[in-house]
Amino acid sequence: MKLRHYETMFLLHPELSSEDRESAVEKFSDIIKNDQGQIVNIDQWPLRKLAYRVQKQTQGYYVVIDFGAPGSAIEELTRNFRLDERVMKFMTTKLDDEFDPEEAAKKYSQKENKEAQAQTETSETEAEGKEE
Amino acid sequence: MQRPQQNRYKRRRIYVRRKVCRFCADKSLVADYKQPDLLKSFITERGKILPRRVTGTCAKHQRRLTNAIKKARIMALLPFTSGHAIE
Repeated sequence: MKLRHYETMFLLHPELSSEDRESAVEKFSDIIKNDQGQIVNIDQWPLRKLAYRVQKQTQGYYVVIDFGAPGSAIEELTRNFRLDERVMKFMTTKLDDEFDPEEAAKKYSQKENKEAQAQTETSETEAEGKEE
Repeated sequence: MQRPQQNRYKRRRIYVRRKVCRFCADKSLVADYKQPDLLKSFITERGKILPRRVTGTCAKHQRRLTNAIKKARIMALLPFTSGHAIE
């Protein structure tokens, strides 16, 4: 089956415990995997203030999943997002019609490299500052 | 006959500054709905999207920018309007 490259972001209720959040993330990533999907990256954001109230809440946890999956998986995912009360908002975006797992993973390894570089640079500048 | 034209040209040159598209200037910068802090600089205090003539963004990037801002609004990362802001 043809895989497409998708990215889905959802907003979890702020009063969930970290285990609850973990199990929610697991549940949705399992739905993707069960439909022959491949997950590239899961990014869990820390508790964040919302721009406006959602279900009377002012904060929430965002989760971003980058993955490749057939279109049918998205239907199933959306159905489950609607049913799950832990999810306050969700949005799935198609990044590309083709899914290449290696190409998709590159983005994250590069990002890590950049962050590592930035860290070494800052530590270098710090070291310079100390010498002075 | 030529003089007034020259004057006008000269005067304009003093205060007209060429704005450059930020996304063209920095190729690594992408209008992404997951970066609300970046998008914030392209909306007004009321939450409206700033026009190209104000920010100097090129047509191509303005299209992507508006899409990113609208996605961010849907996900409650940016406000639709300041009227619903949380104090």
